Amino acid sequence: MSSPAAAASAHDHGHEENKFQIFVQIAMLLAVITGIEIITVYLPFASWLLIWTLVIFSAVKFLFVIFIFMHLRWDKPFCTILFFIGLFLGGGTMWALLKLFGAAASFPLSSVVK
Amino acid sequence: MSSISAADIDHHHDPSTSTGIPNKKLLMWTFLASDCMFFGCLISTHLIYRLHPPPGVPAARQIFSIELTSFSTFILLMSSLMMALAVNAIQKGNLRSLRASILTTVLFGSIFLGCQVYEFHNFVYEKHLTITNSILGTTFFTLTGTHGTHVAVGVLWLVLMYIRSFKPAGAEAAKGTWLLFSFAHLVVFAATLILTGYVVLGVARAGQADGFNLKMIGTYAGAQYPALIATLIGFLGLRWFALPRGEVDFDQRNAVDVEMMGLYWHFVDIVWIVIFTAVYLLEYIS
Repeated sequence: MSSPAAAASAHDHGHEENKFQIFVQIAMLLAVITGIEIITVYLPFASWLLIWTLVIFSAVKFLFVIFIFMHLRWDKPFCTILFFIGLFLGGGTMWALLKLFGAAASFPLSSVVK
Repeated sequence: MSSISAADIDHHHDPSTSTGIPNKKLLMWTFLASDCMFFGCLISTHLIYRLHPPPGVPAARQIFSIELTSFSTFILLMSSLMMALAVNAIQKGNLRSLRASILTTVLFGSIFLGCQVYEFHNFVYEKHLTITNSILGTTFFTLTGTHGTHVAVGVLWLVLMYIRSFKPAGAEAAKGTWLLFSFAHLVVFAATLILTGYVVLGVARAGQADGFNLKMIGTYAGAQYPALIATLIGFLGLRWFALPRGEVDFDQRNAVDVEMMGLYWHFVDIVWIVIFTAVYLLEYIS
């Protein structure tokens, strides 16, 4: 029968092994999403649909990196709150600037894209 | 120095601080939060002004190379994986794996920078898009140049951490020889990186002009043999610096330093995820 210390050590080892596998799987997933993004821009669908698809793909990649690679999933929630304060302020600034200076002008126009 | 087991250190919590978070990590998260606002302004400025190409210059879609940018994106994603593995390695006290992961991250970061240098050179000298001849050029070069500077700072930080991992334990470290040794290591590392970049970019340009074949490589090697020999000497020098010299003052207790560096590197990656979509891919939607 194994001792509690040995069991804890085995658990830790299993956890670390698991983390290694998670990192590799997430990296492969991110590479696949990037490939899909590149294909997406050539699809013959409406611009607004393609733009929103790209935004969602980017957000998924972004969240995977910050929660898994940057360990937010395992860290104290305060780190997540702190980073998201900056993220919301940055995102809010972007939204305000695009709204003030014409969000429509930032969409691709057929007259410009030859 | 390496008698501590991985289970002895909680790498995510520090009970000695009022927040329970290591102060260094808290500092880095605060900095990254502020950097979000900085890049948010640069990206939105580019989005607003991107429809103002200079007179006589084709639209951004004709200037960009989606193949090159996709390759850069893939390389940066893989560098993030290697950085995560480096943090994982030092948390387990695996110094050998840490060094290998850091070196691979440096390699990928340098490839990304090389691609950016190649892209900028191509835009300025062949597509005639400069930082001063249009609003598009100004916002594009400011945004991607700022990101590239972040990557360059990250590469420097990685190299410094790699060299730090060789600091000898005990009285040896107190001697001035370690300072001299680490400075010489840094100089050789930087020179080798720059020379390698020069050689690789030179081969890429020669290949673009004459086509990639053995004759081109032979002609290039004949013309640039001093740079090739210097690069080879640089790599041999790096191998010499990495030879084992006894106990080192670097173990799991330094994990928070590596993790801080990792947070910075991953942030550079997530900024590129946004730039790749907002600056490059958006131009291909018609």
